[in-house]
Amino acid sequence: MKKPYLIFLALLLIIAAHTQGTAQKLITKTGNIKFQASMPSYEEVAAESKSVSAVLDQTTGDFASLVLIKGFRFKVALMEEHFNENYMESEKFPKATFKGKVEDFDSSKITASPKNFTLKGDLTIHGKTKPVSVIVKISKVQNGVKAIGSFEVKPEDFAIEIPSLVRKKIADKIEIDYNFSLIK
Amino acid sequence: MKKILVPFCLFLATLAYSQDDLLKSLDSTQTEESYSTATFKALQLVTLQTTKMPAKKEFYFVVSHRFGSVKDGFDSFFGLDNATTKLGGIYGITDWLSASLSRHTLNKMYEIGLKYRMARQNDSFPLDIVGYSVADINTFLEKDQYPGLESKHRMTYVQQVLISRKVSEKFSLELVPSFIHKNLYNPDIERDNQFSFGGGGRYKITKRLSVNLEYMHNFDKPDFYKNPLSVGLDIETGGHVFQLIFTNSQSMSESGYLTNASGDWGKGDFFFGFNLYRVF
Repeated sequence: MKKPYLIFLALLLIIAAHTQGTAQKLITKTGNIKFQASMPSYEEVAAESKSVSAVLDQTTGDFASLVLIKGFRFKVALMEEHFNENYMESEKFPKATFKGKVEDFDSSKITASPKNFTLKGDLTIHGKTKPVSVIVKISKVQNGVKAIGSFEVKPEDFAIEIPSLVRKKIADKIEIDYNFSLIK
Repeated sequence: MKKILVPFCLFLATLAYSQDDLLKSLDSTQTEESYSTATFKALQLVTLQTTKMPAKKEFYFVVSHRFGSVKDGFDSFFGLDNATTKLGGIYGITDWLSASLSRHTLNKMYEIGLKYRMARQNDSFPLDIVGYSVADINTFLEKDQYPGLESKHRMTYVQQVLISRKVSEKFSLELVPSFIHKNLYNPDIERDNQFSFGGGGRYKITKRLSVNLEYMHNFDKPDFYKNPLSVGLDIETGGHVFQLIFTNSQSMSESGYLTNASGDWGKGDFFFGFNLYRVF
């Protein structure tokens, strides 16, 4: 009789740990990602998505984020169409994701003034995955935390072809800014 | 100890999987905008309109040429000496409504058009449906030649329903029923009301190149004219779309194209031309 009882207890422990984990998750569905690929004296190549979802597990520092490529808005509608059709192939690869961990994350140390952390993980764009390590500024807000930062990616790292004809008009390194208000 | 080890490992395993779980938990939170986009590269397939609409406040400038018949050979340098031109603009009033105005060399024609989207292809509806209404004003007609000429005689109207489907990423199809009404016509060779049905398609060879083909069958056509059959190549270069064209109709206006195609492919009597679109 002793053995099943122990296993039952252990299972209960797992479930308890798991539900506690769920309670510690901070989530947003309205995160913001902007990218900038403009070259000086050429037409602006920039877009923004205001419906990025992201989740942070406060106990472990695990972090994940997902954005739909078709959700990026450009100033010029035609540029948006070409972005989806020719560059990102968003019908084949509808989303970009990030999955990783905020290193040495300790929710008790988060204050109202932003603190730098290292966010390490796998970034997947255009069906290609690449490990990245970026600095993220985390600060405390009501009911959660705010995570902001910026980093650069190269289109060729994600097999995004840029034809020679427009090579001059698109930056080699694309700057990505993100801003998430993650709440309970 | 051993007994507790198994559940403990399980516990660790759930921790290890939690990153994946986090990402999966996000999957359901995002709903995709499911409209099919870029069914066609340009506002025109070859000479027919496509279901593509300008976005709100977008302005398209269009220059088109149809040269003379290739049949003439070196006499007119394969038709290049006898160019006809269309100059025009299209403005997106909203995302679903655009207005166009153009001037055609042939018959000194002004063409006014309205294009309006009625349905979009998405996960629950298989087709793009767009209405296209055109009025042509022929300013070539002279009162000296036709003493009884009234201004209404200059008018020709075309009503089309453009129905398209993006079948795959590369292949799109379009069907176009058209009704044409002419206030002035020659009863010996044509009718005032004509119905024409046909369509076309595009196939993308590369991301920025596509081959287009279109054919329209006119059910009220006299023997004198031919049905228009055209083939084109779309070349997209960022803000421009360049369309190279071979067609048996020199006329680029909707009514002229549908009812007055005069070239005969079988006899090598066809026209070279292009459409050039610039977006502002």
